[in-house]
Amino acid sequence: MKEKQIQVLGIFLTAFYAIFIAWLYLVEPKSLEELPTKAQTTIENVTTKTQVAIGTYEVDQAKFSEGLKQFRAENFIVARDNFERADTEKRDAKTQFYIAYSFYRQGFGKISNDDALFKQGLEQTNRVISLDKNFKSDDANLQLKTPVELKNELEEGLKVTASDFNPLKILRERK
Amino acid sequence: MNESKSREKIVIRQNVENEDLSFVDGELLEIPIDEKPTAKKYTEISTEIETPKTKNENQKQKSYLQYVFLPLIFLTVALLGGLRISQTNEAFVFLKPPLVCLIFATIMLVLFFRSNLIKLDGWFSESFSTLKNVANAAILISLFAASTQTFNALLPERGLPFWTFAFCFFWTLWNNLFAEFDTKRLLQSLGGLFGLAFVVKYLILAGLTAPASESWIQGIFENPTQEAFTWLLDLPKFAPATGYIQFFTLGFYLIGLFLLKPEISEK
Repeated sequence: MKEKQIQVLGIFLTAFYAIFIAWLYLVEPKSLEELPTKAQTTIENVTTKTQVAIGTYEVDQAKFSEGLKQFRAENFIVARDNFERADTEKRDAKTQFYIAYSFYRQGFGKISNDDALFKQGLEQTNRVISLDKNFKSDDANLQLKTPVELKNELEEGLKVTASDFNPLKILRERK
Repeated sequence: MNESKSREKIVIRQNVENEDLSFVDGELLEIPIDEKPTAKKYTEISTEIETPKTKNENQKQKSYLQYVFLPLIFLTVALLGGLRISQTNEAFVFLKPPLVCLIFATIMLVLFFRSNLIKLDGWFSESFSTLKNVANAAILISLFAASTQTFNALLPERGLPFWTFAFCFFWTLWNNLFAEFDTKRLLQSLGGLFGLAFVVKYLILAGLTAPASESWIQGIFENPTQEAFTWLLDLPKFAPATGYIQFFTLGFYLIGLFLLKPEISEK
């Protein structure tokens, strides 16, 4: 092997080893067994970022469908998990809208709402608005079709007003 | 020597297979002048035909050492320098180097240049090819990473010991910056500094750290002094394996420095 080839080999080995070390310090595996899992996650992340960069990013339809199924079965925690995994980059307004809606439905109460969930729902709704201001859901099961309507509902739910003490409030329906 | 009774004869063997006429192997036989050489008189000095390391082969070995093994040694130090083993579940803990370690490593590199451990014009030159300059830069970057992580390995992780050690390191390195130095003295100084820091951190402070116990109260009853020191000095609890790993890390770093050449000569 000529000296130049050895130098090229040295540069490549050094670069590869340095990247490996930087990656280890980034993902911080707890044990050697964790390494393959971390590597797989990293590859998935890199693939997604590349797809976003070149404009071919798509939501994972299988996970989205599973999320929708759980959402309709009122299993909101599992639904949110599926939606988040379907849209890891948080770039799809439709998926993000369902996540926001799941916070609303889970937090809704006839006597009192869950403020923590409503606040999370509000943040999520703002994200949908920033992604697509004119988004409108085509799901017939949802009474609130746009993020603006959902935002209004969540904000009203967080306010404490005289109408909150109206006993007839328990008759209201979740949207 | 009586020339009439004996004569010196050099038996020459040539490496016919390799047709390497530049190297011959033989031995001196002392035999009477009227006697023919026999097999009994023939004494083998060396049973193996030595293959000489030509200049090219030596150069190749040096290149492998310089461009492949040296960066690998330094990067191994960079890998292990921030590695700790948790005492509770024996999990890996990767500690990123604090900013102060980068500053110390920079001062170290300046010291290396000042003491001629590395001669800048011997490593980078317009007369070198771009590839060679890049390869040399890769070695120096790996040296910088290793120096950073060596300080990361030797500095306590937090609290009062961290700042005490950091001050001592800074004081020593700062003084060294203005001292008259040669390579040997610098390496002796660094060896002493690192050795002392290692002993204090991994023997004394580790000895003062309380072992993991089921509860805080149980710890106080079982090891009151160690618990007090751990609390006062904010000592982290790492497994003993950490000390062994860092011992070898320090060893690798010093080996790397030993193998470092002041200048990389043109072929």
